[in-house]
Amino acid sequence: MTFSFSIIADAWPIFSSGLLVTVIFCSVASVLGLVLAVPIALAQLSRRWYWRAPAKILVEIVRDTPFLVQVFIIYFVVPALGMPMSSTAAGILALSLYGAVYFSESIRGAILSVPRGQTDAARATGMSYLLILRKIVFPQMMGYVLPPISNQLIGLIKDSAVLSIIAVPELTMAFQNVLGTTFAAPETFVAVAALYWLLTSVVALVMSRLERLTPTHRSMRQATSLFAMADR
Amino acid sequence: MILEWQYVTHALPFLLQGALVTIAVSLLAVLLGLILGVLITLGRRSGYNALRALVVAYISIVRGTPLFIQILIVYYGLPVLGLDIPRFESGVIALSLNSGAYISEMIRGGLLAIPQGQLDAAKAIGMRSGLIWRRITLPQVLVLVLPPLTMEFTGLLKASALLSVIGLVELTRRAQEVVGETLRSPEVWLTTAALYFVMCFALGAVTRRLEKAAAVYRV
Repeated sequence: MTFSFSIIADAWPIFSSGLLVTVIFCSVASVLGLVLAVPIALAQLSRRWYWRAPAKILVEIVRDTPFLVQVFIIYFVVPALGMPMSSTAAGILALSLYGAVYFSESIRGAILSVPRGQTDAARATGMSYLLILRKIVFPQMMGYVLPPISNQLIGLIKDSAVLSIIAVPELTMAFQNVLGTTFAAPETFVAVAALYWLLTSVVALVMSRLERLTPTHRSMRQATSLFAMADR
Repeated sequence: MILEWQYVTHALPFLLQGALVTIAVSLLAVLLGLILGVLITLGRRSGYNALRALVVAYISIVRGTPLFIQILIVYYGLPVLGLDIPRFESGVIALSLNSGAYISEMIRGGLLAIPQGQLDAAKAIGMRSGLIWRRITLPQVLVLVLPPLTMEFTGLLKASALLSVIGLVELTRRAQEVVGETLRSPEVWLTTAALYFVMCFALGAVTRRLEKAAAVYRV
């Protein structure tokens, strides 16, 4: 068995365009997912059941079914119910929804890590709900939300490989195209694995840098350890 | 569009058989993954630098690349190496190679929870490191690791849907076959999602109970 780098070099345009699509899809889905995740997390923490229940049901459904089946439902079932869906739209929608639910779990945990006394005190001074979120909760939870979000971003990148099944021309699709035309198995395996590995490593590195930039309050560090116990 | 469920009720036994394959593949993978996870942990703590580096590289590669790619590499790669492996076995191999890396991380977490005093005491009464591992460390770690392990099983139930792509006839593949025959995609996919949901949700309840039990044990 010989290993020839020229095969990877020849197929590079295909790989790089696939990589670009993966990066674009994951970026769009992470942003949409994060935007969606905040209301989902807040709804789950709400005192009113008509906010809590739908959020909880959505989270459980997304967490307890395979991503592939979610993709199929969005790509095949939603159009059958009367809403046309391209593979791009279905891919972005599925990935964003999936990301939103997992992000919302981390955001929920981070919100809980802000000591209850602080929000009570803020309410006692007459601050509104949104003002408390903006001035008290969100600034402090950053240090707690970044580590799990970093893991989930990496998970999102890896799970985006599934979108090749509905013909989104991303990296895994590129890999299958190259494999199908060159039959150069070891070379394409190494190339695609290396590209994903590089991408996830870069994201991990950037996120760990970001984590170091966010200040964490000492009282919150204690609060998190308590939360970690409560969560077990 | 009106949903017509009679197509699905006919196909339900067929889908349930697929669910059994899903469970079998995931269960085998989590058991083999546990064995691999223990081996990886041992390799990580070994005195040989080369072995440690190899194990760390393995974990990094498995965690840094998509499971889907790993499944394709095992399925298309093993024949290149001259091994002719059927789909079921190939799927189990891919899932357990993946799972082993994650399970080793759980075992690492479990090891950190064992008080150093116990190991010191065992050493003080003259137990050798192999015996300490077998009698003191491993039994406790396994109890601590059991809840996350059931969570890993849930993850594998979901991940095994990807094996439909290499043609393993599990739940998702059977659903595709039923869709092909009946052309009733909404009913079939919603039913399939419901079947996965029931399996994963039930296992999630088991996880929560085990977590409570392990918390008692820990004290």
